[in-house]
Amino acid sequence: MNLSAFEEEREMMLRVQEADFVVVELTLYTNTHPDEPEALEQWREAIKKAAQIRRQYENRYGPLSLLSIPSEEAIEMGWRWNQAPWPWQR
Amino acid sequence: MWVYEKKLLYPVEVGECNPKLARYLMEQYGGADGELAAALRYMNQRYTVPTKVIGVLNDIATEEFSHLEMLATMIYKLTKDATPEQLVEAGLGAHFANHGHSLFYENAAGVPWTASYIQSKGDPIADLYEDIAAEEKARATYQWLIDISDDVLINDSLRFLRERENIHSLRFRESVEILKDERDRKKIF
Repeated sequence: MNLSAFEEEREMMLRVQEADFVVVELTLYTNTHPDEPEALEQWREAIKKAAQIRRQYENRYGPLSLLSIPSEEAIEMGWRWNQAPWPWQR
Repeated sequence: MWVYEKKLLYPVEVGECNPKLARYLMEQYGGADGELAAALRYMNQRYTVPTKVIGVLNDIATEEFSHLEMLATMIYKLTKDATPEQLVEAGLGAHFANHGHSLFYENAAGVPWTASYIQSKGDPIADLYEDIAAEEKARATYQWLIDISDDVLINDSLRFLRERENIHSLRFRESVEILKDERDRKKIF
């Protein structure tokens, strides 16, 4: 399947959103279930996976957070934080 | 502090320009049980609750801000291409007269948001029960909005938000139990 550049970015954004959501959900769960080793293990795994997927996205499309480090490619291409689209413009 | 994330918590897609639906969605944007009220309620209560439940209030408050952004995105996308005539027809004439195409923290009837929507009692059990009620009211509102809306894309996002209110309610209920256990333990020793 040949995805357009637009669809590819959307697909990767969706993967970031999915991975980050797992972290949000497991963080909330472990807040009220601090003594469940299985939940803590899932949380640790989710954090690692989310970081990995985020890095893949950011290396191609630029940082998602003010504290992310822009890739060399992004700097070369003149990437700016202030660049559209903002989330509500997608 | 907070650091902005340039993405939505969950995708928001809209079928077509629909200012009438946007107007109903304002209930969850700037209404009594809406996301702004939720975020500010928990954010303010977190300072004076026992340490064991600070994380729950802090993290749910933060998530509510991401819900607020989803609602804003829905309202923005549903109204950005509407003509003044379409806005008047949708009941947003008074809104347009004051705010143009911009968003405003008001409910579906155009009543501006007020801090009197939220409470802060300095009593953790009283505060948490208010929070549980707030989540259940938000869940009910999302159900009514899904019942009204025939935009299948918007409904997907609304169903996600409805489920999140369920989870938040559950976490607040567990927080009540954590505090009750702690209180009972103090009595024993």
